Amino acid sequence: MTESRVHHKLSPKEVVLAVLRWILIIFFALYTLFPLVWLVISSLKTNFEFLALSPFALPAKPQWQNYVNALSVAGLGRMLLNSVFVGLVATIFNVIVASMSAYCISRFRFKGRESIYTLFTAGILVPLNALMVPYFVIINRLGLYNTYGGMILLYCAIGIPMSTFLIRGLMDSIPLDLEEAAYIDGCGFFGRFFYVILPLSRTGIVTAATFEFLTCWNEFVFANLIVSSEKLRTIQVGIRYFTNQFSTDYVSMYAAIVISIVPSILGYILFQEQIISGMTSGAVKG
Amino acid sequence: MKKTIALLLTLVMVFGLAASFPAYADDEIVINFPSIWVGTDSKAAYMAKLVEDFNAENAGSIKVVVEEQTDYQAYRDKIRTTITTGSAPDVCILDTTFDIKAYAESGKFMDLTPYLNEGWGANFTDGAFDAWSADGKVSILPFESAVFTPIYNTKLLTQCGWDHFPATYDEFFQFCKDAKAAGLNAMGQMAGDNAWSSMLWYSLLVEAIGGKDVYADGLDNPAFVKAAEALKEMYAYTFDGAVSATAGDVNGHFLNRDTVVYLNGPWWIANFYKEDNAVDGVLLADDCEVAVNPSFEGGLGDKGLVTTVQGFLAAAKQDDPAKEAAVVKFLQYITDPAHVSELALSSGAMFFVKYTPSPDTSVISQKVTEVANNAAYTILHVNGAFPTAFSTEFPAAVSSLILDQVDAQGFVDMLKDAIDE
Amino acid sequence: MKPTRSDRGPLAAFLSPALVIMLTFFVLPVIYVVVVSMLKWNGISAPTVVWFQNFEKLFRDKSFIRSVTNNIIWALVAGFIQVPLAMLMAIILSRKPRGWKFFRTVYFFPQVISGIALATLWRAIYSADTGLLNGLLRAIGLGHLARDWLGTVETAFPAVLIYWVFYVGYYMVIMMADITTIDTAYYEAATIDGASDFQQAIYITIPLIKKTSLLTCVTLASVLGLRQFEQVYMLTNGGPANTTNTMVLYMYKKMQDSNYGRASASAVILILVGVIFIVCIRAIFTGRNEEAAAARKRRREMK
Repeated sequence: MTESRVHHKLSPKEVVLAVLRWILIIFFALYTLFPLVWLVISSLKTNFEFLALSPFALPAKPQWQNYVNALSVAGLGRMLLNSVFVGLVATIFNVIVASMSAYCISRFRFKGRESIYTLFTAGILVPLNALMVPYFVIINRLGLYNTYGGMILLYCAIGIPMSTFLIRGLMDSIPLDLEEAAYIDGCGFFGRFFYVILPLSRTGIVTAATFEFLTCWNEFVFANLIVSSEKLRTIQVGIRYFTNQFSTDYVSMYAAIVISIVPSILGYILFQEQIISGMTSGAVKG
Repeated sequence: MKKTIALLLTLVMVFGLAASFPAYADDEIVINFPSIWVGTDSKAAYMAKLVEDFNAENAGSIKVVVEEQTDYQAYRDKIRTTITTGSAPDVCILDTTFDIKAYAESGKFMDLTPYLNEGWGANFTDGAFDAWSADGKVSILPFESAVFTPIYNTKLLTQCGWDHFPATYDEFFQFCKDAKAAGLNAMGQMAGDNAWSSMLWYSLLVEAIGGKDVYADGLDNPAFVKAAEALKEMYAYTFDGAVSATAGDVNGHFLNRDTVVYLNGPWWIANFYKEDNAVDGVLLADDCEVAVNPSFEGGLGDKGLVTTVQGFLAAAKQDDPAKEAAVVKFLQYITDPAHVSELALSSGAMFFVKYTPSPDTSVISQKVTEVANNAAYTILHVNGAFPTAFSTEFPAAVSSLILDQVDAQGFVDMLKDAIDE
Repeated sequence: MKPTRSDRGPLAAFLSPALVIMLTFFVLPVIYVVVVSMLKWNGISAPTVVWFQNFEKLFRDKSFIRSVTNNIIWALVAGFIQVPLAMLMAIILSRKPRGWKFFRTVYFFPQVISGIALATLWRAIYSADTGLLNGLLRAIGLGHLARDWLGTVETAFPAVLIYWVFYVGYYMVIMMADITTIDTAYYEAATIDGASDFQQAIYITIPLIKKTSLLTCVTLASVLGLRQFEQVYMLTNGGPANTTNTMVLYMYKKMQDSNYGRASASAVILILVGVIFIVCIRAIFTGRNEEAAAARKRRREMK
């Protein structure tokens, strides 16, 4: 539909709108790119330049040494892998469990449904920092302290309310008649889930998965709490290697952040088509 | 594509599970030691060497496994949680001074008194344990200490028209005015983040005004109000935006040579000698001199010194006597005077252990030690003298004071409310 | 749909993993939090029961009240300014202007940049002496407006809030995915009828995403607004004079003080405020009448 409008003559009103549109697009692009550029520039300064001179000046000489420092942190690569691994596995389990429960809550009226729905909604709001002590005890009792399993279980669990909420929101919008038609055709509980509801709620599932993965990727407090071995550390721990209450090596920290961002941005660009096509290949709405 | 991803995941999973079961020899005692003396901490390199040497000397029988912790706040959260749930690590570092008494009384840590009485105690400075023991038992060892004394840039002081560091706060504020006239910041203040620099200046003022017994009646001592008034006055002579500033800003201004006086702990001394921080080939250390806290007219302080315990060592109670012996052996190894001497040399930090300083100790370190040795008495930095809530509330209280939301009495009241639980 | 007899078993099986997780990781821990909220406990010594004293103290603490208002403002701004901005960009980009794929990727970047880096950058922008914002104001002759943005009582909270509002990438991607599922026939028909882009957005796009992705984004943004912690913690730590404090930050500081009772009490209040908020948002978006009508329709269908 865009192609067809390129050719006809634009009215002055349309020209103004087009200009406004591009101003907005470019403003937001600069707004989001600026931190990235600044980060890369800062990661090439000396600490003296970063602290004592203007934070927006260019470095006199690019300090590649900062990247050497960052890479010298034992196991930065391993930390990246751990983050990807824990994040992916937790996300997969999370969306499986959440889409099952969302299906039940969204498509069936049964006794206790409202209370279960309220329970999930309230779960979104629980400030997890308050639960450090109980979570530590639970993970310890399950014998999962200092294991991938503990991290995966905890990350999968803390995202359940949010994922259920996101997936359920989409399932609610699927018309009932589609499912009823399937029912009349002899589709059972699982058949309707796999062949009707799941394909139609891909958008919600992908949204939930992205959110869950980002949560895992950025999580630090619990990653530090329930893990002690360096082999299991995630990238957020690596980023903080250069911070210290009494002497922070800012520039090396920025180099570590840049190193940690590169795979996530590459991953996002590579998977973007999959994600987006997953989001859009569902039913046409109307 | 899907198959590849599935295969990849399975592989990573198997590899991950295999990796999470570390293999240790059966009869080897493993000591778990979460440590904040890692990463960019000045003690990191030598501490790592100490642990490595210890493990080598005890190969096959004891192995210390360090859990690197670089984020102080996250570390404190973790240690508190493990202690609360009764699973304290074998050896750990504690740094929230005011909680030490409660920890010592909790009975969750190993009683070290018998070992200290066997001669190990003589390694520590006199009276080191007095304030931290419970029921006559020592379970928590004060290890790293710090003294806080101003350091100033001599070139800049001359530019302000002064040939000596002010001996009284009257003189100090006169110097502040001269610095301002010369286009310089007299000192760095910060009310952002944890308001560290301002809290240090507040301690110095409290010491100068209230003297050595200032903490005897808590925050009711009038010295706290008077010190707040003086602190507020100082904000007129610091850089723009000090209310939102952080430690990075304070350090940056001093490094940029636009601020005359610097106040921080001895761990920062190494920065005076870094090539990165030299300007026109002149090291910052070459322009710097150590001062003593000025006295306050009508104040009770006289040649006092503000100090703190920067880090305590503690060990969890053990059921197994062999493990207890191993833990004690490791603690004795770290606190061995010869090792501490090396640790002090490499980091610039100070300790509650009697040791012979290395002749290679930096000039500034030597001068700070000299100031410390000449002090008539010491008082704790405010953050160690009051419950943690004091330090948590301090940034809010000091910014309220500077922004005229409260007066000096109101500032003290805010802190009182915070610690009054 | 009402579960048929043969559905009951599978239904229970499908719900149970989530329910077990909810019970273990939310219900039991929250009960723990509620119990602790009635104690005076430092986590080391024996606790004493003080019943509702912690809540009383909370409501008398001006900085807590301030953090509740801050969170409510944050949630409202996120839900009703940030999300509409994201929707605007989603509508613009879903028209596939030149380079739209590039922009869609770029807008998402801040989600993967560490919060520490963003906070340091914005502190540098707002800084009094070397700050970019003050430099800009001075350059255009508005130097008298320059100030310590994060160190002034009046400007600190707006400054913390505003910079965050323009990071719209995440919500934009959610809504864009939804918009692309809209049948293009609608737009073609509207174009033939001479409807402008603007009219098409108002009469076709927004109504069709209102109850799905728009509702999702508004709820999500508001909830995240109520749970706001990391940004404030790293940018201002709640200062100056507690003007940028939030509920979770307040709670976190009480935990640092080992004041577990008060920390838990503020967590309980946060959950209560949040539930009220979500109920209100649902009411705004679905509306009583519509919901009742939908229920009637469902009932009819069931017969």
